[in-house]
Amino acid sequence: MDISFAWWLFAVAVGTSALGGMLGMASGIFIVPVLTIFGHVEMHKAIGASIISVIACSCGGAAPFLNSRLTNVRLAIVLEVATTLGALTGVLLAGLIPIPYLFFLFAVILFLSAQQMLSKRGAVLSANTGADCCRWAGALKLHSTYPDLALARDVDYQVRRLPAGMGLMYGAGLISALLGIGSGVLKIPAMDTALRLPIKVSSATSNFMIGVTAAASAGAYFMRGSVITAIAGPVALGSVIGAVLGARILIRLSNEKLRLLFIVVLMILGLQMLLEAFGIHLMGRAA
Amino acid sequence: MTAASPLERSLARLLNYGTWLASAAIAAGLGLVAMHGSIGASHPENVSWMWLATAGIGLLILLPVMRVLLMLLFFLYRRDYRLALAAVLVLTIILTGVVLGLRTASGAAG
Repeated sequence: MDISFAWWLFAVAVGTSALGGMLGMASGIFIVPVLTIFGHVEMHKAIGASIISVIACSCGGAAPFLNSRLTNVRLAIVLEVATTLGALTGVLLAGLIPIPYLFFLFAVILFLSAQQMLSKRGAVLSANTGADCCRWAGALKLHSTYPDLALARDVDYQVRRLPAGMGLMYGAGLISALLGIGSGVLKIPAMDTALRLPIKVSSATSNFMIGVTAAASAGAYFMRGSVITAIAGPVALGSVIGAVLGARILIRLSNEKLRLLFIVVLMILGLQMLLEAFGIHLMGRAA
Repeated sequence: MTAASPLERSLARLLNYGTWLASAAIAAGLGLVAMHGSIGASHPENVSWMWLATAGIGLLILLPVMRVLLMLLFFLYRRDYRLALAAVLVLTIILTGVVLGLRTASGAAG
């Protein structure tokens, strides 16, 4: 491995992490295919580097979100109980479920999320209905406000249907552990459709949670020796810079543009996963 | 518009400085190794500086765990025991995951 390869790894990480950061998700889902196809990096080493980049994206992009109060840290720690528990279950189940089933499951979830994000919104945010919907979230004091730069004022929001949200988060953690990727792409739709959070709050809170979910598996990979410093090092550096850039763009971007971009990415990834499920390796990914 | 809370500011500082410290260690380690002309671990003279980059990666992995620990301390200080319990659960689950990962790793190696 020479210096130019290290620079290439660095550049790939900057680009994918900036895109991921804009969507409030980590770059793992992009990094693994790019490293294996174009970089000819062995699958496990690519996953080892990718999981480090997931943490780098989460930690490097967190500060602007926290300082601008987009991250709901109280909600994050409650939901992390479900995501980490799901990830733990995923670690236990890994190897028992055939890979094509996993890809198919992933594709279905991505398409469902895209479809849900495309419809069903609109009047939902302004219509704050009775106390019955938010009993759990109220007891844990999870309701909050976020600053809307376009409106130049704080906007109140409520956290709805926490048990349903926890269930979806458990599933998101489970599937992400099974597929070995960061789970922002699953967490944001879960927060969007179950908890009914504003999209920027979902994105920022998801970014915050991704690092914790990835930490357990990353620790195991690190101890096992799957994290090769010569590969993971440049990727981590690029991810930190890309995540910071992406987070800054997210704060300026309008909610509707962000939603459209997110739907497009969900559809592309869903199609890729569906092809993988039927054994068509467009992206050259080895099972 | 209201400013960020003390917890939010502390978390932002921890993750920000932690990330830059880890990145600096990785950059310095890789940079020193690159000065020898290659970053392949096969060159014995390079292994001596690779540890610095590896330590940076280790620190990066520890950052999310440290921020859950910081949240735990904050919630305990505020006597917010429900959220403190959530933080304890998250830490326990992460630790269990690492132990399980180590076990499967040693199982696969053996």
